[in-house]
Amino acid sequence: MQRKTPVLNHRFWSITLLCLIIELPFFVSAQQDTSKKLKEVKISGSIVPKEQTAIPSQQISAADFERYSAFNVADAIRNFSGVILKDYGGIGGLKTVSVRGLSANHTAVLYDGVQLNDAENGQIDLGKLNLNNLQQITLYNGQPPNICMPARSFASASILSIKTVKPALGSIKPYLITAGIKAGSFGLINPYLQWQQLISKYWSFIVNSYLESANGHYNYKTNSNGVDSVRSRINTDINAQQVDGALYWAKSDSNSFNLHINYYHSDRGLPGAVIFYKTSFSKDRLYNTDLFLQGGYEHQWVNSLNLLLNTKVSQINLRYLSPGFLNVEGELDQRFNQREFYQSAAIAYHLYSNWEVSYATDLIVNNLNTNLFNFSYPTRINILNVLASNLIVGKFRLQASLLNTNITETVKRGRAAPARNIYSPTFMATYQPFNHSGLQFRAFYKSIFRNPTFNDLYYGGIGNPNLKPEFTHQFDSGISYSKALSGFFNYIAFSADAYYNDVTNKIVFIPKDSYNGSIQNFGKVSIKGVDIGLKTLATIITRIRASLSINYSYQQALNINDPSSSVYLNQLPYTPKNTLAVNTGLDYNKCGLYYNQVISSSRYYNNNNLLDDYLPAYSTSDASFVYRFTARNNPVTASLAVSNIFDKNYVVVQSYPMPGRSFRILIQITI
Amino acid sequence: MKQIKLYHFIAFTLIMVLISCHKDKIIPVPDKPAATRAGLYILNQGGFGSNNSTLTYYDYTSKQLTADFFSSVNGTKIGDTGNDVEIYGTKMYIAVNNSDRIDVVNAKTGKIIKQATLHQCRSIAFYQGEAYITSYDGNVAVMDTLTLTINKLIPVGRNPEQLVVSNNKLYVANSGGLSFGNPDKTVSVIDLTTLTEIKKITVIANPVSVTADTYGNVYVLSIGDFAKIMPGMTIIDNVADVIKSQPIVSLGFNTPIVAQGEYVYYLTSDNKVAVYNAKTQTPAQANFITDGTVVTAPYDIAADPLTGEIFVTDAKDYSSNGTLYAFDKTGKKEYSITTGINPGKVAFVNK
Repeated sequence: MQRKTPVLNHRFWSITLLCLIIELPFFVSAQQDTSKKLKEVKISGSIVPKEQTAIPSQQISAADFERYSAFNVADAIRNFSGVILKDYGGIGGLKTVSVRGLSANHTAVLYDGVQLNDAENGQIDLGKLNLNNLQQITLYNGQPPNICMPARSFASASILSIKTVKPALGSIKPYLITAGIKAGSFGLINPYLQWQQLISKYWSFIVNSYLESANGHYNYKTNSNGVDSVRSRINTDINAQQVDGALYWAKSDSNSFNLHINYYHSDRGLPGAVIFYKTSFSKDRLYNTDLFLQGGYEHQWVNSLNLLLNTKVSQINLRYLSPGFLNVEGELDQRFNQREFYQSAAIAYHLYSNWEVSYATDLIVNNLNTNLFNFSYPTRINILNVLASNLIVGKFRLQASLLNTNITETVKRGRAAPARNIYSPTFMATYQPFNHSGLQFRAFYKSIFRNPTFNDLYYGGIGNPNLKPEFTHQFDSGISYSKALSGFFNYIAFSADAYYNDVTNKIVFIPKDSYNGSIQNFGKVSIKGVDIGLKTLATIITRIRASLSINYSYQQALNINDPSSSVYLNQLPYTPKNTLAVNTGLDYNKCGLYYNQVISSSRYYNNNNLLDDYLPAYSTSDASFVYRFTARNNPVTASLAVSNIFDKNYVVVQSYPMPGRSFRILIQITI
Repeated sequence: MKQIKLYHFIAFTLIMVLISCHKDKIIPVPDKPAATRAGLYILNQGGFGSNNSTLTYYDYTSKQLTADFFSSVNGTKIGDTGNDVEIYGTKMYIAVNNSDRIDVVNAKTGKIIKQATLHQCRSIAFYQGEAYITSYDGNVAVMDTLTLTINKLIPVGRNPEQLVVSNNKLYVANSGGLSFGNPDKTVSVIDLTTLTEIKKITVIANPVSVTADTYGNVYVLSIGDFAKIMPGMTIIDNVADVIKSQPIVSLGFNTPIVAQGEYVYYLTSDNKVAVYNAKTQTPAQANFITDGTVVTAPYDIAADPLTGEIFVTDAKDYSSNGTLYAFDKTGKKEYSITTGINPGKVAFVNK
């Protein structure tokens, strides 16, 4: 436990400081820069959702969180096409997403453009990400269409980009304070506070903080004894605190700097799987303490040269405690400490007005310390280099990028994973047949992989340092149409994409022996799917507006590993073939009434695809009512959200029952 | 994130479960030569935490397979991770590890007779009307096979796994497998008249599987400490209760072992069923299967003393239905049948 990896210990913070200092000269020179402010583009008319991207993307903004009765990021994006939410249930339960049939590890989560990384297990719990300080969430299949971005943004099969609230203040009122509280079922109390402040002409800051406390209790129905009965989920409490501060400097739109600090702590009970007949309940606990410091600088010169620098240091502490564990100590107390140092630089330049090229390079250093027996104490150095080009020829827009990933690992004990050097290309093309018609055809191909996590490689007794990366190929072609209208409908936006993905060297757990490790590259998957989205807004009569959003996904994700196997061509576990999400709402003056419906077809929880592993289809309905008014000229929002209004009994993950009907109220005032 | 942690804990537990589901004992009620088999049961562990342990029944006469025999008879599920099934007299005993449950059922009909609670029960052996059941909290529970009540707990070592009766004594493998890096390394010898531990024999770290032959030997397979101590075999003399030898064998995490007549069958790290000669105490065969039958992920080995057949189960990818292969004495495949997920134990039932 006390062993430290030198690279990331004392020097860890000093290197970071150095990097931030290196960014400073740019920043200082930028302050003296007299580059012209780029012409602001004013968007007028109704806000048409951004469906018109070169690659499929889906977006949700803060204003819409209430429409979806969303409490965390997982809730906010569950309606997206192609997204399958894996929800272990309850307020503190793990929530991850699988996008287009690829496991959760293939989706990178960006926090203001910089990845939230967990090198130990590769998944970000989206239930942990509260919406209080978020402005916008966007899911990109493949990669974001912008080519001036950190190399890491090119390095995952899909990107979930989260943008925090940025101060937008005028000199008349140089501050904005938002205070609110959410409370309701599960014993939830979640007060939060946001303070935005303009310091000077160029400087501003924002501080967000919240406390979240809940006992998490809920009832569920079971028929384990052949008799229907109602049981309670216990050991489900959560206590979490988060503070997120950001300092902004913006000389102009084309010259800006930001510095973020983010702290999160939580203490949760782990109810575990519901085990038939067991009379004792889990007392397991999980403690998270995450801290990161992130700085970014961007400058766009008049000659179109664009520079983007990002630095980040993060530390993730995790403690898993299992009282009553049958070992010598009488409890299992596992501690994990991982650190990351991250530096990224990207430049882009327009060779011609229709041809932009970019280069980005990222250095990522990760390590992991644990108190596990015989642990390897790995350190990973990951260097990413990417060249990208964006060319507009007539009605075509052609984009290509080539990513080189170079990974080297060292360990203090045992064997280290071999070095990897991998090239990953992406191509995308769009075609707009008519000017200003809002019609676009698009296609992309992307080859990328997910590297094995530290747990995959080194976890005691089962980790396997010889694991190869899990490769994916994505092929997509689609059509999108969006148009602002002036009649009954304010706009209409439609998109449809068909895709084919394959996965090779899938990383799975297969018990083996102590020499070879039990996590293996075993499996090939073939995924065919269709994602369809439709969004519209209509003015029924003056001041009454109706919104409708429909997302449909079809996924056929087949095991194609071994033609002689009985599970060959079977659907992957937890992958419904059809999912439909409908969101509709009415806005009248200060009031909004919204309804959300998610329907998932039946699934199987293992490879058999038999009655034994069948999980029935489910449909959940949520509703919310929002009332916005002013109190002494201060905007106030009050809302009531009801989740699972028909109190349906269902599971997403087998043995993890979901809660029935629950309520949440919100009251928020902005001063 | 919590379940991700849990996943790794579960992974470890699963290993502990799967390495520890095989044992053979001196047959409690010797099968009379006149007895004939009605069929066989396969206890499938299912996935840890999935409550999908099942009992498959294969009828020898009708060649009929009933995939979830327990549920079809009783209308309820077995529970989570059935670890051992044993038949004694007219009753069958099922140890359901993660459900903390012992099911006693009619061996022929499968109907529940009694359900008892035993914390993290693992393996079952019988001697003179008593069932001996290991519990992971460091005890061997003694259950009367007539009253079906647990009358006594005999303290043994840490996390006891399999147990076997030999020379009127009970040998219990104390794995200590839940103390990562600090496993137990003893076999408890229990006097079956006083029901007390009379000796602890030090063997290779993390002993899990045990079997006994008719030549006075108790075989113990240990899986080591996942670091410096490699898995290995220890052979104990059942008279003096001392170590006789520690032959060099190559073992994986999964260590089924069974003795039948002159031979002892066990699984090697490269997934072969190896044969050891109990009489001469020398390795006999590197691979028992002689007809080229490929078993992807051998999981359990069982022997029918009545027919001389050897059975090998295949867990395949550990998350879909497996297969049971029946071989004759010479290692040639007779037939194969489909099992449930992770077929960990086989029991033979008479007509």
